[in-house]
Amino acid sequence: MKLDRTMKIGIAIALAIALLAPVLASSNPDGLESSASSFPSADEKEQPALEAPMPDYVIPSLGDGPLSGAIAILLGTVLVLLLTMGVGRFLAAKRLKDESS
Amino acid sequence: MHIPDGFIPLWQCIIYFAIAAPFVYQSIRWANREMDEKKIPLLGVLAAGIFAIQAMNVPIMWGTSGHMVGAAMAAIILGSPFAGVFLITVVLIIQAIMFGDGGVTTLGANIINMGIISSFIGYYTYTGLKKIGTNEKAVATRVFIGAWLGIFIAALVCAVEMWLAGTFPLVQGLFFMGLYHAVIGLVAEGTISAVVVVSLQKYRSDLFNPRPEVIPS
Repeated sequence: MKLDRTMKIGIAIALAIALLAPVLASSNPDGLESSASSFPSADEKEQPALEAPMPDYVIPSLGDGPLSGAIAILLGTVLVLLLTMGVGRFLAAKRLKDESS
Repeated sequence: MHIPDGFIPLWQCIIYFAIAAPFVYQSIRWANREMDEKKIPLLGVLAAGIFAIQAMNVPIMWGTSGHMVGAAMAAIILGSPFAGVFLITVVLIIQAIMFGDGGVTTLGANIINMGIISSFIGYYTYTGLKKIGTNEKAVATRVFIGAWLGIFIAALVCAVEMWLAGTFPLVQGLFFMGLYHAVIGLVAEGTISAVVVVSLQKYRSDLFNPRPEVIPS
């Protein structure tokens, strides 16, 4: 499977957003967190079920600066790209094989 | 609007998983049927772009921020609400497991809100508004309205879930969630979705299924 020009531009845009996100993104609470903080009882309920390796989109050993954030989000973006294409490929594999034979 | 672990009691989480499951199953069937050499990279690129843009919170007001969801945009580009469900499910799993964004126990609820509701409302609003027209401006308007409604309704459903969970009071929850996401829908979701869909229809009409509506002039 070849990536055509549009796809390459798309990947470049995604990676650029990933790289810039830690610098440009607002660190204010999001809509749900902000709503939760209006209700004192809700705010304390958060209880992570597992420890994520890159919590809050940073690499813990690199601190929480923009570089750490950029690496974490870049890794995530590449992971999502490969995983989605991999799963898509896997799901289509049988049909594509039938069609080409 | 990623619901963290702890915001919903476990027994309710199980119900949300049960509701989400048939939709996720259908989305896998969709991928099974529709994936080809052209769509596999498109799906991957859209998912990567959506993941990245979801990490970019834009400030709105009242000390609050928000990010695009992207389900409606993906559903419209790939021609099926199940495409949006499929893509958002993959993104949500990675976010929950790798980044602690959105809970693991609340994954079912998050799939319902951001994946299913956003995709279905967005996609069917877009197709239902066909009589607005098929030129560039009309398509942009339809995508904008669909994507805006998609995130807005998802936020309201999320508020109801928070009420059922005993986490938010109903009326204030609906008010805050609705208000914040109505603004996020305007500044991020609606605008970005419209720009991406129209540009793709203009320059890469071959990617659309069954056919694009904006005819390149």
